Order: sequence, then structure tokens, then C-alpha cells
Amino acid sequence: MRKGEIIIRDVGVCFRLYREKVTTLKEAVVHRFRHLRSAENFWALRHVNVSITPGEAIALVGHNGSGKSTLLKTIAGVLQPREGEVLSAGRISPMIELGAGFDPELSGRDNVYLNGALLGFSRKQMEAKFDGIVAFSELGDFIDMPIKNYSSGMYARLGFAIAQDVEPDILIVDEVLAVGDERFQEKCKARILDFRSAGVTFCFVSHNLEAARSLCPRAAVLHHGRLAFDGPIEQAWEKYRELERGPMPGPQINVAAS
Amino acid sequence: MKAMELASPAPAALATESPKRPSPLRELWSFRQLIALLVVRELKVRYKRSVLGLLWTMLNPLLLMVVYTVVFSTIWRSSFRNFSLFLLSALLPWLFFNTAVLQGLFAVISNQELIRKVRLPQAVFPLSVVGSNLVNFALSLVPLFLVMAALDQPFTPALLFLPVAMFILTVFTSGVTLFFATATVFFRDVRHLVEVMLQMVMYLSPVFYDLRTLGEPTTWWFPLFKTCLQLNPLTYMFSLIRDPVYYGRLPELSTVVIACSAAVFSLVVGFFFFQRLSPRHIHYL
Ligand SMILES: Nc1ncnc2c1ncn2[C@@H]1O[C@H](COP(=O)(O)OP(=O)(O)OP(=O)(O)O)[C@@H](O)[C@H]1O
Ligand SMILES: [Mg+2]
Repeated sequence: MRKGEIIIRDVGVCFRLYREKVTTLKEAVVHRFRHLRSAENFWALRHVNVSITPGEAIALVGHNGSGKSTLLKTIAGVLQPREGEVLSAGRISPMIELGAGFDPELSGRDNVYLNGALLGFSRKQMEAKFDGIVAFSELGDFIDMPIKNYSSGMYARLGFAIAQDVEPDILIVDEVLAVGDERFQEKCKARILDFRSAGVTFCFVSHNLEAARSLCPRAAVLHHGRLAFDGPIEQAWEKYRELERGPMPGPQINVAAS
Repeated sequence: MKAMELASPAPAALATESPKRPSPLRELWSFRQLIALLVVRELKVRYKRSVLGLLWTMLNPLLLMVVYTVVFSTIWRSSFRNFSLFLLSALLPWLFFNTAVLQGLFAVISNQELIRKVRLPQAVFPLSVVGSNLVNFALSLVPLFLVMAALDQPFTPALLFLPVAMFILTVFTSGVTLFFATATVFFRDVRHLVEVMLQMVMYLSPVFYDLRTLGEPTTWWFPLFKTCLQLNPLTYMFSLIRDPVYYGRLPELSTVVIACSAAVFSLVVGFFFFQRLSPRHIHYL
């Protein structure tokens, strides 16, 4: 496999829904572990096949609860698929949400190092990147303020600034560019286009056609956890709108007994 | 146009190219800096806003020591020399073990936000709890040495063994902490179980007494009790520290060997369980 390649092969991700919520050993013993048998499987994703070549940008679209975030989490390795497999090569910047892992009590500076460590970078490596990150985020003196005093846009700025500077081979972002102001959004888009020309793979969830079209020529449509379409974004969007007019537009729970 | 059918690759070509997943240990090792950062963060949180925080860490075992010494020397009229030091030398490792295990129970659960969003070896959380408690343990050596000096206890070269002893105990504690941290994710009341167990283990471990100082009472249950003590790994762990501190000599080789084996066994079992179950944590958080 080449760096930046992602292969999603027949992936199924299953959440168990328990009729009775059992969180203690006592309950489990009293009910003789019945909850394990009566659990129902809810497939948030099933039989999904996508392969993404290095440097490609793909948008994921679909109704709320269609499994987009679940798919991104599976690619990032946060979730393990029950069926099939996800193969990827290279460093994934696993920011399902920008700023995941920020500690609100710590200053922006400390959070940069914490986030770096979360991504597996040493303090030395992060020291070398630090000025670049602050410059990109344009946070200036706010960098030494506790993160809890940041606005949500500032939060996203710092998150993106870190994610863009960790030399990822695969960049994954879940509806995050929406909070930055217009200029910062443009800056992020420009950076993502840079990445694309540098051969970084980009997976992106968006409910906004304009944002998606400007970044990704390709889109995959998820519908109730199934891949409904994979191809050029214009057609994908049509398919998506068509499905939304269909019989099962919104989130639904269709469970299969295990 | 890239149609959906074309998008799925030929499986045969892939099988040979699949990248290897990094081994769990190697992955954990690559996150060692994160563990260090988490330790620092935990210590910062603990000592933040309380100037006495650091002092408290050192005072806490001393206060316990005073209470236990008063109580036990009254009950037992224990005749042996420097009972307070005898007690403190096992109380410190006990407090380390006890606190690490108890705090570790919620190490995974309290970091669920991160676990849901970032891919990382989840073992970093319980291990960082052990780490921050190890720092506290090391700090509490200061009052230990002060007590030794105050009681005219000789400082022998055997004390140089302490770092090794602490390392062995840390390995042992890590395994136990990992095991119960993953169990708590699935069953939240494991905490109550562990709390009760730790209470019992404290009295079944040579904290307030010692195999040697027990003598040979003739009660029918004494042999049972003695077997219990001999099977308890903490017996050997505590000897590793009490021998140099209180008896001023190196622990016996057999003690060291048993303690090391117990530590390795604990870590292997704890890490194995944790690693096997951690992909499922996210469904229970
Ligand atoms: N931890 C979980 N336990 C049970 N069900 C879950 C869990 N996480 C997600 N799901 C379910 O999986 C389905 C897909 O969720 P997902 O977050 O992937 O949707 P999405 O496409 O990102 O939606 P949105 O557009 O709202 O972000 C939903 O029905 C959700 O309820
Ligand atoms: Mg989502």
C-alpha cells in the first residue's frame, strides 16, 4: 500500500442496543447475564466498500445518523469494525473533531503540547512546530490563556492549526470548518488544497454542498449505514437529495436480533 | 467517472500488501511522552490551588503512621524497636498500591471524551495514574528518611536497593490497575468490590505485622492465615522495602525472585486483558 491510501472493505460497525441497561455486576448476576443474550445489534454501517487513493479528497454525505462520523472514526481507528476491515497507510491526523483532546483548564500552549503527544509527537518535535502553529492559528497572545476562555471559533482555529502541522498523510475532518470566520475558513480551504497537491488524502463530512464541492471532486453517499453512491460530487448530491425525498429520509433504528 | 463497483479493489491483490498493525507494546512505547504529560497534568491538578498540596502528600502517611502506631502499640503493647518506622516502611508502598488501584478504576471512564475521538492506546490512562502515584510515593520517601533520622535508624547501603524495589512494585501495581480499570468499564460496581477487597487485603498483608514477628500462635486458623500471607504477593513486595529501611539489609534473593515473578505475571495478565477488551470499551462508555 502507498502512503495515504485507505481501503475500506465490506466494513460493518455494530452497536449493541440493550433493552435493559445493565451497568453493574450486581444487575448482570441477578439477571443471569440475560442482557447479553437479549441485546440487539444495530448496524451503524454495513457492507461499505470504498477505496481512496493517496492525495484524493472525498466528501461523505448523508442524513443525520447515516453513519458518516462512524465511518470516519473507523478510518481513524477509534472504532474497530465488527465485519470487514479498514486498511490505511501513513500517519492519520485523527481529529474527528478539531480540538478533540483539548483540556479546557490548560493554556493554549500546554494544549498544543498535549495534542502533539496525543498524536505521538515528542516535546522537541512540537517545540519546532510551535511557532508555526501559533502563526497559523493567528491567536497571538491568547495562546497563553486557558482554553476555556476561547470562543468556539478560536478553539477550532487552534485545533486546525495543530492538525495541519503534524505532517499527516491522511487528514480526517468531521464538519468542523463551519465555526471559523470566513477568512479563516478560506485559509483552511487553501491549506487543504495545499495538502491535496502534496498528496495528502482528505476525508471530510459536510452538509454544505458549496464547501464540499470546493474541496472534493468525489463524494460518497451514506444512507442508513449503506453506501448508496460513490462518485462525482454533483451526481452524489443529486442522489443524496433523491434519497431524502424517498421513503426513509431521516434517522431510523432498524435492529436485527443478534 | 468512478463508479461504485470500480471503487472496490480486487481483494487478492491486497492480501499481500496489508500493512502490519503495530504491536500493542510498540504502540504504547511510542506514546510514552503522552504518559509523562498526563502524569504532569494529574500532579498539576492535584497540587493546584493548594499550597499545602505537596506538603500534604508527605504529611498524610506520617499522620496515618502516628495514628496506627498509637493504636497498635496500645493494643499489642508491641515491644519491638521503632514500631513507627516498621509500620511506615510498609504503609508507604501500601498507600501507593491502594491509591493507584482505586484511582485507576476510573482512569478509562473519565477520559471517555478523548477515547471517543482520538485513536490512542487506552492503557496510557491507567498507567499515567500509576505514574503520578509513583511520583507521590517517591516524594513520601522524604518524610520516611526524616523519621529514620529522628529515630536514629542507621542509613545502610541497602537503601540503594529502594529504586529497584519501587520499580518492581510499580510493575506489579500497573498490572492490577490495568485489570480493574478495564473491568470497571463493563461493570461500574466493580469499584465497591475492589474497595472491600483492598480493605481485606490490607489486613492480610504484612503492614502492621511481619511474618517473622508473628511467632507461632497455636490457634487453629493460624496456619491458614500464614498460607494466605505466603501466597500474597504484597508480602514479598513489602519485604523489598521494609528490609532495607527497617532491618537495614538487602532482601533475600528468594523474596526478590518471587516479587519479580509476581510483578511480571501481574503486568502480563493485566495488560493482556486490558488490550483484549479495550476495543470494546467505546461501546460501554
Ligand atoms: N456509541 C454508540 N452507541 C450506539 N449507537 C451509536 C453510537 N454511536 C453512534 N451510534 C449510532 O450510529 C448511527 C450513526 O451515527 P453517526 O454519528 O455516524 O451519524 P452521522 O452520519 O455522523 O450523523 P450526523 O450527520 O448527525 O453527524 C446513529 O444512528 C447513532 O445513533
Ligand atoms: Mg456526525
